[in-house]
Amino acid sequence: MIRALASLGAAEWEFPRASRQKRDALFEVAARIALVAERSRAFEREALAEAAMVESRRPLRIGLELAAGGAGAEAIKAAFAANPAFIHPEPGEALELIVTLVGLKGLLAREHPYALMRRMSARLGPEYFDKTEAWISSRLKRRHYRAEQLVVPGELPDLIRSLALDPRSLERCLRAAGRDLAAAAMAGCPQESLDLAKPVFGRIGGVILEDDAAHLRSRLSGDEIAEAQAAFIEIIRSLDEGGQLRLGEEVDFSADPGFVAMLTRAVLSLDDRVLKAAFRGIDGKLLATAMQGMEPSAHDRILGALAKRDERRLLDAIDDADPLPGTAIQDAGKKLALRLIAAAKAAAAPREALDRLTQVKNWEPVGSVTKNMGRVESGRM
Amino acid sequence: MIQWNAELVRRLSCREEEKRQIAPLIRRFMELAQKARGEGFQSLDGVLSETDDPLLSLGLRLVLEGLPEDALEDVLATYLIAENRSGWPFLRACVIIEGLLALAADDDPATVARKLVAYYGAERAAPILEELERDPLQSAPAKEET
Repeated sequence: MIRALASLGAAEWEFPRASRQKRDALFEVAARIALVAERSRAFEREALAEAAMVESRRPLRIGLELAAGGAGAEAIKAAFAANPAFIHPEPGEALELIVTLVGLKGLLAREHPYALMRRMSARLGPEYFDKTEAWISSRLKRRHYRAEQLVVPGELPDLIRSLALDPRSLERCLRAAGRDLAAAAMAGCPQESLDLAKPVFGRIGGVILEDDAAHLRSRLSGDEIAEAQAAFIEIIRSLDEGGQLRLGEEVDFSADPGFVAMLTRAVLSLDDRVLKAAFRGIDGKLLATAMQGMEPSAHDRILGALAKRDERRLLDAIDDADPLPGTAIQDAGKKLALRLIAAAKAAAAPREALDRLTQVKNWEPVGSVTKNMGRVESGRM
Repeated sequence: MIQWNAELVRRLSCREEEKRQIAPLIRRFMELAQKARGEGFQSLDGVLSETDDPLLSLGLRLVLEGLPEDALEDVLATYLIAENRSGWPFLRACVIIEGLLALAADDDPATVARKLVAYYGAERAAPILEELERDPLQSAPAKEET
């Protein structure tokens, strides 16, 4: 911190004071830069040139043109300093130059757009803190994609599963590794590993980790990702040797296939009327968890039975859901079965459908198969 | 290497009795570090409602939000410079930012204290560190406070 402050030049201690109206306008400029940063991560210079063509603010347009032509951040800064139009600017113009240069520097460094937005809006003052959070949240809501996976063979995914049994252990490893190494290591892990790691960094930090891992997946070679994983594993080992971790037994993060088949059949055997009645006012988190224990055909059936608004709510809950042990998914499935039974009875659903739901409600893990069958049989009598 | 910066030195300078107020801040950040390491970072969410310091509050929100460390430092330093503080308010803000960065780095309480006692100045920091090595969690800040 002191090192950063000590490197400031005399002029950098003075911060230009701009009007609220000007800063509001600059917030929009910052948002545009963040969106260009998002696109340029995928489409490179093409995105910069396209953005320059439609940009109305002169400093940003010039900066984007220079960046599209291959100029680095320092070269753009020097070009601004040498531009007669930018010498002796008014406070509002000076602030615009600062925000633009900070944005272009982050953009060229391929910084995540959310972190970049925080950097730029900080120049506008703490009054823009909440507005920035709202902007990031609105971008998060529109973000519904899952990147392609690249799984580099190794023990890291298994270690992450074990660490996730004690979230503090996983958190300690990820923070000790640092964001860059964690993202590089995660670039070669299955989505499940990322889903376990994301909550450690919070709602926005988790998305940044996921996006950075996806970004690095397309930039690093398989060997580089394997090296990052080896370094990450070394950190885990050293923390473990120092007694700072609790590595648990591996846990299964998927529901029993028998249970999945049973719950899927039960859901598919119900008509829309029963499903709609059962899902009225249901906790989205419960339904999202239970759906982790169903096949895709049952997901389609459920989503088809929901109103658009509820469907959106459910999809959000699914996106926010953390990976859970199979037992938690099965418990949610049983709770859902109870609701479905009540709705099915009220709608006088066929006996066969009720039997299937009862079978789900009474299901017990492998090893209790005969007990399950016995209960099902008695339910039919 | 840290460069000599006359403006920074001017802004950091304050009276000895003002510097004594660093002690409760150090203790606070040691407690927060212990809480984060013991209960997880998201447990710091509860601390937000207890603090009325805007810089600490915004900084904690950024730590919880998961902003990468270099961006966190940049954002907080920008707020600090923009407010044009000097003397004790500037020094206090520096200690808060350093504490937040230590929290984000998942430092243990003793490391947090080592980082923050530096703001007492070289002569005063050394004896405090000696005590800290004997009793990492409490002694140094507690003695300074009295």
